[in-house]
Amino acid sequence: MTPGQETAPADVIIVGSGAAGGMAAYTLTKAGLRCLMLEAGRDYDPQAEVNMLAPESDAPLRGSGTPDKPFGYFDATVDGGWEVTGEPYTSAPGSDFKWWRPRMLGGRTNHWGRHVPRWGAYDFKPFSRDGLGVDWPISYDDVAPFYDRVEKMIGVNGGPIGLENHPDSPAECLMPPPKPRIPEMLIKATAESMGIPVRAAHTAVLTRDMPDPVAPRAACYNASPCTRGCTIGAMFQTTTSFLPQAKATGKLTVQTDAMVSRVLTDKAGRATGVEYVDRKTGMRHEVKAKAVVLAAGTGETTRLLLNSGTPGRGLANSSGELGRNLTDSTGASFTAYIPGLAGRPRYNEDGIGGQHIYIPFWLYEQQKRGELDFARGYHFEVWGRFGVPSSNVLPRVWGADLKKAVRQASGATIGMALRGEMIPNKDTYCEIDPGVKDRFGIPVLRFAFRFSQHEINQVAHGRKTAHAIFTRMGGRILDDPTLPPEKIMAAGGEIIHELGTARMGADKRSSVVDGYGQAWDVDNLALMDGAIFASGAHKNPTLTILALALRSSERLAARFKSGAFA
Amino acid sequence: MTLSRRTTMQWMMAAAALPLARLAPEAGAAVGEGAPLPVVADWPGPVPPLPPTRGYGRDPTLMEPKVVWPLTLTPAQRASVDLLADMILPADDVSPGAAKLGIGAFVDEWISAPYPAQQTDRTLILGGLTWLDRQGEAQYRKPFAALDAKTRGGLLETLCTAAPTGAMAMPVRFMDRMRGLLVLGFYTLPEGKADMGYIGDQPTEGPYPGPSQEALAHLSALLATLKLTPA
Repeated sequence: MTPGQETAPADVIIVGSGAAGGMAAYTLTKAGLRCLMLEAGRDYDPQAEVNMLAPESDAPLRGSGTPDKPFGYFDATVDGGWEVTGEPYTSAPGSDFKWWRPRMLGGRTNHWGRHVPRWGAYDFKPFSRDGLGVDWPISYDDVAPFYDRVEKMIGVNGGPIGLENHPDSPAECLMPPPKPRIPEMLIKATAESMGIPVRAAHTAVLTRDMPDPVAPRAACYNASPCTRGCTIGAMFQTTTSFLPQAKATGKLTVQTDAMVSRVLTDKAGRATGVEYVDRKTGMRHEVKAKAVVLAAGTGETTRLLLNSGTPGRGLANSSGELGRNLTDSTGASFTAYIPGLAGRPRYNEDGIGGQHIYIPFWLYEQQKRGELDFARGYHFEVWGRFGVPSSNVLPRVWGADLKKAVRQASGATIGMALRGEMIPNKDTYCEIDPGVKDRFGIPVLRFAFRFSQHEINQVAHGRKTAHAIFTRMGGRILDDPTLPPEKIMAAGGEIIHELGTARMGADKRSSVVDGYGQAWDVDNLALMDGAIFASGAHKNPTLTILALALRSSERLAARFKSGAFA
Repeated sequence: MTLSRRTTMQWMMAAAALPLARLAPEAGAAVGEGAPLPVVADWPGPVPPLPPTRGYGRDPTLMEPKVVWPLTLTPAQRASVDLLADMILPADDVSPGAAKLGIGAFVDEWISAPYPAQQTDRTLILGGLTWLDRQGEAQYRKPFAALDAKTRGGLLETLCTAAPTGAMAMPVRFMDRMRGLLVLGFYTLPEGKADMGYIGDQPTEGPYPGPSQEALAHLSALLATLKLTPA
């Protein structure tokens, strides 16, 4: 921060620098508003820090995940993870919740999954379809124009889906998808023979250059794992796009290592700014602004509202819904060894990093007819590449036989990962732990988490489907089909799609924010991250977070222009 | 988050968490089946604890990766690991033996790391090295390294049994883990990737070229065998 700026209040304080915070900074600065962005983590520059092409053998333990770096040594997430030193969170008795917290500029976008399906009409009106949960106050038609723009802004490759509740993008929104790999072509042929659709995935990786005067981004060069981060900008992350673009306007100040502890309010109940702790010095600071945007991520946004306002109740919580309605995606992984792929001809299978194709949910009609024992949907993300075969596909041999076996088995394992919708339930929420504070003295979150029978039945259905596909292709299933579905589901939070704890709604009795993310109780406070989601869908949330943040930011800018904050 | 590295890591962790019968290679695939040992040495007691040390932390300098913990194998243990490495992954006309590629040092790095999974492996690997010597002494009055190659090979063969019971359970588990570690260490090296015929890690401009004609022809034949229509 340069001298002088500290004393000149910003128009808007933005808490968080990930997908939502990055979009807010980009949109609000373009609209001429002066923004102060506070990021709890450290400064981070992908150009200087991403080791994009080093082989795993350069890393300790061949790059294997450890408690220090759970997704591998070279994973982009630095200084954070499932645990952050001195910043605990707790779980209620009987609950097992995992909370992924990056502590870095750009947040989760630096290593995210990049799968960006559009949500469909059913996903915004789930209650109307099955009587569970709540409807959103907005519909697909409200969000569609923003999806169009976000796809073009961040760069998405993919193709048409053409399925119920899977709206297609207008042609000009998508870059061409990459060709499928051999295991993906086998999955497609097999699944489609069984009536299960397979489509090109929508992925936030450029397959064409994206020129920009400030932050030009290059098309993917078809090598290196995206989760390390991308120095050429092919993968969307805010540190190579929105943040430099917003800074170039001269309207954005970024303060890193700034852990926001609460939102400050005046007697009239309007937000006046925030208090933050400098993570390096432990000093508390107050900064003022005409409006406050919270984009700290679902958990942190909820935590700091609960720690603001009225003790024991929090801020913007007249509905009592703050902290409730927490969901994560369901997750389960299935793998098989496919003898027909053993020893197959080699070629470069790196492609654009992750999956090129996926299996969207295809059973809406059956569900409507009451033929399924679960509500809502799931999809499969697929995997199958040349690489080092895992121990469970190698025979118990040694010597020359083992070397031959490795060559045969490389590229013969296929995986399918289920991601499904979780319906909010009353036993799943977060709240302030009455007894635990972090090293800055800020009260921490305690999570309670439980899946309902819908999610358990959904995973059982997914396993049956995945195993049927594997069997049809002559595969040997590697996961244990006899385990109860509860035992194969990822723990709450583990899929890192936590949503819903400050949901939007049509009225202030049943929701925390309106359809634009504006707090019902605090006129100049807008929430823009996953906390505002009224339901989870099975589709990965980031594209929708970005679309809603764009919509909300433009609304906020319009209100500034109309004098609402004068 | 989407399936990617995290999922493959999860699969690996899930495999590691499975009980022995499932962690182990498929029984049907086992070809090693040596004659039962006339006498089976006792599995050794607890191994000495790892000297206090630290991991690389949550924010290592990724541009300069380095192992920050000291290696802990004794020279004798390291020699045993190298011996096993060259038996389990020997030189052939495609690639060098594992010991020559330094995989013994990798095993040392692995079992010396102050992380829970690696410390579980340390107990198993150090125990197994001691057991091999004890077994050599019990059967032939010689430590493992002093046995002739054929005898050592015979002993390894008995550790490839599909359904170990009783006193053989831990030694076979040791052999399974040693095989897994050596494979990981070997085939993640450039020499190991070349051995597998791996093609990749090459920035390629323009659209992803997709499978080669040869790869497509192989798939067509597979689909025909499976009576599937190309999609």
